[in-house]
Amino acid sequence: MSKDIQVGNNIIELEHSFDRKTCRHSISGFQSVLHCHHYMTLTTQMAEDADDLCQGTEVLISTMENTAYKVLSKICNENNIKDIEDKINVAEELFCRIWALGKIKFIHLGDFSATIDVLHSHIDEGWTKKWKKRDKPVGYINRGFIQGALAVINNVPAGSFETQESECIVSGAKKGIIRAWKR
Amino acid sequence: MYCFGCKKRHYPGMEEVKKMIDRKKVIEEMSKIAASPNEDGIIDGFNVLVNQLPSDFWNEFNERISTKVKPDLRKQAEYLLYNCARECGYNTGYGIITSKEWKAIVGPMVGNTEDVLYGAFAVFTAWGWAKSEIVHLEPGKKMIVKAYDYYESDVVKHGISPKLSAYMIAGVCAAFMDLAYGGDYPKGFNKFKCEQVRGIECGDEYGEFVVTPI
Repeated sequence: MSKDIQVGNNIIELEHSFDRKTCRHSISGFQSVLHCHHYMTLTTQMAEDADDLCQGTEVLISTMENTAYKVLSKICNENNIKDIEDKINVAEELFCRIWALGKIKFIHLGDFSATIDVLHSHIDEGWTKKWKKRDKPVGYINRGFIQGALAVINNVPAGSFETQESECIVSGAKKGIIRAWKR
Repeated sequence: MYCFGCKKRHYPGMEEVKKMIDRKKVIEEMSKIAASPNEDGIIDGFNVLVNQLPSDFWNEFNERISTKVKPDLRKQAEYLLYNCARECGYNTGYGIITSKEWKAIVGPMVGNTEDVLYGAFAVFTAWGWAKSEIVHLEPGKKMIVKAYDYYESDVVKHGISPKLSAYMIAGVCAAFMDLAYGGDYPKGFNKFKCEQVRGIECGDEYGEFVVTPI
């Protein structure tokens, strides 16, 4: 089995394997697991509830940042992807076609800032499906992904960027907008 | 839980149940099901939206949260992590056992409620959550599950952890008993609880999970 992503005119094959002995799945060398929007929304809710106890939302954002950074770095290194446009392409495809987190589009990107449209979002749409809309953004996982991706794209360490969600689908906006800037 | 085979509820002995489900075949077939997102990056299947993240993500979050809180609040944090999986397992579990894939692959082997439960753990294994199986079942009263390999034990690379960490497996075990014996979906939620009593992360050979009524 393999999962393909298109980068420019090239197709990158990410091997999807199932180990019959351990019964584990992996994609491109990273063990992967299916979970549902209930798990994702409850984890997000829990992170918010744990903000006073242990900065739960910061933990959630940085956890996804670390994960995205590790995976994107490996894919780019193994496939010799160095061009910025190609790296952006890989990030958008990983978010959308492999991890099924929704659909993002990098609108602008520089060394110090970036703007990303969130056209579809698993967490926003899952939250709405489970609990209906709300005024406050829920895209901590999306923000973490973008922070990790920006670090890989700009060749800087994870943790170099921070983000804010200024528009969000869960609040009724047609698309979400995430702004990012270098710390 | 509704029995697809005989259209009613009944509780046969465990030996009879074990013969019905071809666990190896279920794992083989269900592990091939590829979850592919639509062009918007959304997987809408099994009555839920599905994502496919590296297990490292879930492990890192759970471990950081459960370790970072003050020791006197750890049990509360762990309960919340367990509860995330319990709701997930209940809703996704129901989606799985009513799906066309289930009906095609597992459905022909199902003759009663217990078959569904045994089949559900075969699917649980096939999808990479945990290589697990029911080792003891008293219908409606008690279930013991062993997990011989599971990603939640990966939080330990050296030595043994002072705490059991398979919150997801524990939550799903309770959820599956809710589906089997809690009553009609979705009213049957939160009728059973699960306690993890052994863990690979704590130096045991396998994880062990005991489910009993609340």
